[in-house]
Amino acid sequence: MAVACAVAEPDTNTMLAEALARDVDRAFEDVVIAFRQPVVTFVARMLRDDARAEDVTQEVFVRAYRALHGYPPERRAELRLRSWLLAIAHNLTRNAVRDAPPASDSLEYDDGTPRVGLTDRQPGPEGEVLRAEAWQSVGDAVAQLSPALRAAFVMRYVDDLSYDEIAETLGQPVGTVKASAHRGLLAVRAQLENER
Amino acid sequence: MTESNVHDYRDATLRSVSPNFTAKVFAEIGLDRYTICPSAIGDVYVAWSTPGVAAVRLAGDEQTFEAWYTERFGRRVVPAVEDDPVSAAARAKLQGGRVTVPIDLRDCSPFEQRVLHEAAEIRRGNARPYRWLAREIGAPDATRAVGNALGRNPVPLLIPCHRVIRTDCSVGGYVFGSDAKRALLESEGLDLGAVEKIVDRGFRYVATDDGYFCLPTCGDIATRLGVVPGYFGLRTLEEAHAHGLAPCTSCRPIAA
Repeated sequence: MAVACAVAEPDTNTMLAEALARDVDRAFEDVVIAFRQPVVTFVARMLRDDARAEDVTQEVFVRAYRALHGYPPERRAELRLRSWLLAIAHNLTRNAVRDAPPASDSLEYDDGTPRVGLTDRQPGPEGEVLRAEAWQSVGDAVAQLSPALRAAFVMRYVDDLSYDEIAETLGQPVGTVKASAHRGLLAVRAQLENER
Repeated sequence: MTESNVHDYRDATLRSVSPNFTAKVFAEIGLDRYTICPSAIGDVYVAWSTPGVAAVRLAGDEQTFEAWYTERFGRRVVPAVEDDPVSAAARAKLQGGRVTVPIDLRDCSPFEQRVLHEAAEIRRGNARPYRWLAREIGAPDATRAVGNALGRNPVPLLIPCHRVIRTDCSVGGYVFGSDAKRALLESEGLDLGAVEKIVDRGFRYVATDDGYFCLPTCGDIATRLGVVPGYFGLRTLEEAHAHGLAPCTSCRPIAA
């Protein structure tokens, strides 16, 4: 399966950005289609709550649309859409995480049921359970990270975004982003070691 | 931590949005969309807003359509990329499917809405006079206003205003032209040639041997003639009464 955030190729970005520069309204649905999946996946990983993730994702695109109408065409043509949208998503999830502490989130999420995407290539029920536990413990470890480390860790090690792109998304210097992603990695690793 | 754990976490936490996600976004930003759908009279533009389908027009020049739309509804409309539940329902309906399509009649006056809701009840294979529709909505003197309201129907085909015709059973006007109106009615199974023969002989009603009388454009006659042999024409209501006939409950030839 492709990495979630690799859906939009660079030339897609250029095409969409130029279309947005010409006419926001006519280009906007293409933007929604190109980025709804990576955005909702990012938000869901940050919130660990699928129902709220869709609402927040909707708000991401509504805010993006309003912002686009405020930008001059030259600025729209220059946009790196994925990191720009993820930046909006990151800001909104930060608020959402603040509104609902992660501890209660992980409790309601971690109901022991294997989540989607596991069954299609598993050898048998035992294997399924084992693999489900393996990724869920990653999920649990990710959930324990502070929102800042979580965003950096997920973008770097789960979605394989470049440090430049992450820096742009989080609005932080590349050095800071590298440090956060690394600290996130160490924390996740430590958490998994503990469980063993 | 193994690479494969992270891979599994990545795959297991991929999410997609629900089918009406884009519709919800467009509802929030207040932008209408349109698409091309095949129909009985050829390709049509179908434009929809949050509550439902707002316009149906013959497909042609995009700019002309978009300008007309903004002029009439005061909102911008842009070409859609994907179908959403509303446009998918309209697409199915225009190809003869029996589906309910949400319609947006906010642009119409309360009177126009009453007329259009009533017209929406006329089933395939049937036609009713303008005067009949005026009577049915409790405005028997408003035949002309009924005609105007149907003429302003923003969603022809989806609300079948073509099924409302003149009392003499000539088809009358239509947004896509009288020829298209006639062709549509014929394609829906109404035998206009037979209706005209009845009307040309001075008959206003048709009686069937099972004791009912109908408007000549009642779709039920054809159905009932399958089991009831023969019918005869009536010039006046008095004749119907003299024969002890009951009004058809489907086409309601006289006021209830």
